[in-house]
Amino acid sequence: MPVDTKRIRGPEESQSPLLFLSPGKVPEASSRQGVRGNGDARPVFARCGLISQAKGSAYLEAGNTKIICSVYGPREAERKDETDMKTGRLVCDFRLAPFSCLKRGAWIQGSEERDLSQTLQESLQPGVCLHRYPRSQIEVNVMVLENDGSILAHAVTCASMALADGGIEMYDVVLGCTLRQSGSTCLVDPSYSEEYGSWQEGYGEDQGCVTVALLPNLNQVSGLTADGEMREDILSDAVRSCMDGCHKLYPVLQQALMRAVKKKAPPPAK
Amino acid sequence: RFSIFCERLCSTEDCIPGTGTYLRHGYIFASLTGYVLRKNEGEELPVISVVRETETQLLPDVGAIVTCKVTSINPRFAKVHILYVGSTPLKDRFRGTIRKEDVRATEKDKVETYKSFRPGDIVLAKVISLGDVQSNYLLTTAENELGVVVAHSEAGAQMVPISWCEMQCPRTHAKEFRKVARVQPEYLQA
Repeated sequence: MPVDTKRIRGPEESQSPLLFLSPGKVPEASSRQGVRGNGDARPVFARCGLISQAKGSAYLEAGNTKIICSVYGPREAERKDETDMKTGRLVCDFRLAPFSCLKRGAWIQGSEERDLSQTLQESLQPGVCLHRYPRSQIEVNVMVLENDGSILAHAVTCASMALADGGIEMYDVVLGCTLRQSGSTCLVDPSYSEEYGSWQEGYGEDQGCVTVALLPNLNQVSGLTADGEMREDILSDAVRSCMDGCHKLYPVLQQALMRAVKKKAPPPAK
Repeated sequence: RFSIFCERLCSTEDCIPGTGTYLRHGYIFASLTGYVLRKNEGEELPVISVVRETETQLLPDVGAIVTCKVTSINPRFAKVHILYVGSTPLKDRFRGTIRKEDVRATEKDKVETYKSFRPGDIVLAKVISLGDVQSNYLLTTAENELGVVVAHSEAGAQMVPISWCEMQCPRTHAKEFRKVARVQPEYLQA
């Protein structure tokens, strides 16, 4: 089991101070502090082209969730056991910074992060024209700086913006949206306390979380992750609301990408 | 004019798709974020392409002339790092192999790699194939215009080509064997 051996641990009897904190009040799922409705996603701030060493990069902020992504490539593929050399490969790395959650995370990638990396790769793959890059691999590195809910969805959006900024040919941007159902209310783009808060009440029925990755212009779903127990009709409604959320997000990304390309290069003289 | 992903540019009856575009259901869509260029080739239909920045990242393709640097030699082949594709430099180095039988067009079995290349030489080669799983890009220098362009002698000076198979060091006047490229006069700079 990978263990962090570089840090000096405290004495054997020491306990984390977080155990002695009084548990904060869990906000009710029905109230959303009045600022946004149940079906509205948080306003998004997106910028591209901030990492100069990387081929493409993007930064996304939604509420307090902050995600940064960098894209390298196409590079020569490592060729481990590849049978098909005619298309390229997409390698995704999803990392949560140790300071991103309330409880300090480990530097070494845990199983949850590996799972999210795999989901991210499966969601992005249908969007990228890999057949244009034979024998190469494109590396996508996502780092979550602050986790305030629905990180997978925003990571997918951030990664596809970084790929677009890096000049990788794609069929379409991939946008992500999350929906959280607890009891009778469905919340689009939940924050951390909304997403994890009601799990403490126990795993009952009608408690679930759905994340959808969508290609808006082609109207194709490239990734779907669902967790919890939900009824079938609610699940299909949830997927539809997520798709609506993605469509609403699209103009913001378009503007951010256009601004980035205009800044990078002036129009060709002709 | 500006374009963004998957924006429908026009139908296939109006234009031919160029770089940065893809075809779907009889329409041409953009696959890059950039500027749309419409060029009139003169033949039938104009070519529409999406251009980004200065130069697009090229990958070595079959039949392309590449500039590479020899890293190691072997009685059977020479391993190279591909540095330039055509005239655009690559940001990441790709690996290539020049097999013994691909060094020359004539007398293929009598070739000695030690007398054709040395590590550190800059070579002009052509890509024959992308290679399979195990091997790298396969290159060839079996043409008059392909082969060593820049080489340093054992004394360290840059050598001058004398014939297609010899180069001479200007300092020590020693001759060394290389498979020299006959560079076209317009590419030579004083």
